[in-house]
Amino acid sequence: MSDHLTRSLNQVRNELLAGLSDADRESYLFLVDWLRRTDVASHALQVGDTAPDFLLPDAHGRLHSSEHLRGEGPLVVSFYRGGWCPFCNAELRALQALKAEFDSLKANLVVLSPETRDLPRQLQRQLNLDLTMLADVDHGVAISYGVLFRVPDETKAHYAGQGYDFAHRHGSTEWMLPIPATFVIDQDGVVRGAFVEPDFTIRQEPSDILAELRQLAGPHAKDASASDE
Amino acid sequence: MELHQVRYFLAVASTLNFTRAAEMCNVTQPALTKGVQKLEQELGGELIYRERQLTHLTDLGKAVLPMLERALASTEAVRRRARQFQQKEVAPLTIGLAPSISASLVLEPIAEIRKFVPGLHVELREEPPSRLVELLLEGEINVALVGDLDDTPERIDDWALFAERYVAVLAPSHELADRPVIAMEALREATILDRSYCDVAPKFHRLFFPDAPPHHNHRSCRDLHLQHLAAAGFGIVLAPEHMPRLPSLKALPIEGDPVWREVRLLAVQGRRYSPALDAFVKVARLHDWSLHTGSPLQTKHHSHLEATGVSA
Repeated sequence: MSDHLTRSLNQVRNELLAGLSDADRESYLFLVDWLRRTDVASHALQVGDTAPDFLLPDAHGRLHSSEHLRGEGPLVVSFYRGGWCPFCNAELRALQALKAEFDSLKANLVVLSPETRDLPRQLQRQLNLDLTMLADVDHGVAISYGVLFRVPDETKAHYAGQGYDFAHRHGSTEWMLPIPATFVIDQDGVVRGAFVEPDFTIRQEPSDILAELRQLAGPHAKDASASDE
Repeated sequence: MELHQVRYFLAVASTLNFTRAAEMCNVTQPALTKGVQKLEQELGGELIYRERQLTHLTDLGKAVLPMLERALASTEAVRRRARQFQQKEVAPLTIGLAPSISASLVLEPIAEIRKFVPGLHVELREEPPSRLVELLLEGEINVALVGDLDDTPERIDDWALFAERYVAVLAPSHELADRPVIAMEALREATILDRSYCDVAPKFHRLFFPDAPPHHNHRSCRDLHLQHLAAAGFGIVLAPEHMPRLPSLKALPIEGDPVWREVRLLAVQGRRYSPALDAFVKVARLHDWSLHTGSPLQTKHHSHLEATGVSA
């Protein structure tokens, strides 16, 4: 656990990239180039946009409402690709390592996965997570946040060759994935932070998310103290 | 992709007419056409053949249509939920159950969605699987739980929820009841109570009685009736593991667990999901069904090692 407190996600990324096979590296470079060329990230919600609300089940089939979650404090929504992606798992571990700090800022953090069935439960057990992992069943939230894309055929062939069975994982034969992205949403449902990077190996450092949350809390805290006077 | 592009495409897919689709979406036709073209660029090919009198979907269009319909239905259901919550509308949800599926399976998912859909009004209907498919297509039921299907009809979405084994249910006084497991050979000699419309009967017949069908003295389409017969000593019920049992009965595994089936969730493709249906389908696809069968079975045919690899 301390490992994830001392090493940045960028350092973990470099190690993971160094461990890629030639075929994986080629596939990675192709997909990132494709995502940039098709400008998929341009559809994503931006700071100032209103975030669509959602009602999604967690890994145990319990429903969570975004309205309720952001009623308790700022809401951090993080999209990830799935338990098969080592960069996603590194991000989950890093978020887990700082979960207490999210809690202390009274921020609700939810990670949204396109995976269904018992896969989120398995992943929580494997990585020993107590994060709230929600299943974006049928990608409804990813599409409304503007981060969904259809996996190009070349990448699909590569992933299928690796044995990733998305039909089983997503409950759909259409290969759709979100671009990993992190949104900080205030209590009114307005996006106050948006990190969307087509290079899916690059994730927002959890410490940067915490900094955004502190900044978000700042003016509110001042308002509160002003009203006390 | 963007939600409005998807909405435009789905409107064209349902009307096969750009003018009517634009009216439906309340936008100008050029705006609608531009939105569809942008979506086509992102999806890597044409979705619609634009021929004067013969606008129709391409193969790619047909392939992505069900997925995009579900994604849109999923987002719209949540928006409508907020309005319905305020208006306290009644939210009907009719669930079809095959005779081999106990209502006990759906109680937790229903309890979960009732927290968020206060006007929930549930109706349970039990029918043979083929009739359930008809009722789905006719709109008489919203969703169905069935056992193994020979093939899924077109226009039906079909998700495997979990796999479960069949066990032998019998009275404690039965001569086979004191064994830890029941051998197939012993079952061949025993009286088996016949479940009408049993979805796994062909599997049993192939495995246990390959030469001639078993001799059944007693039958019923209701599991509870069969259990009463078994409790009175009339024979053995071969039952799915999740099926709740009368307290006077015991269940024993069959040697080698030879018979399994998958419990599946069915809904009609492309039909607008109500908030209650949307929540039910989502919860059902994440529910921990192993709690009903005692073992984590859902992904038994899939490698758990995928998650640990290093690839991109």
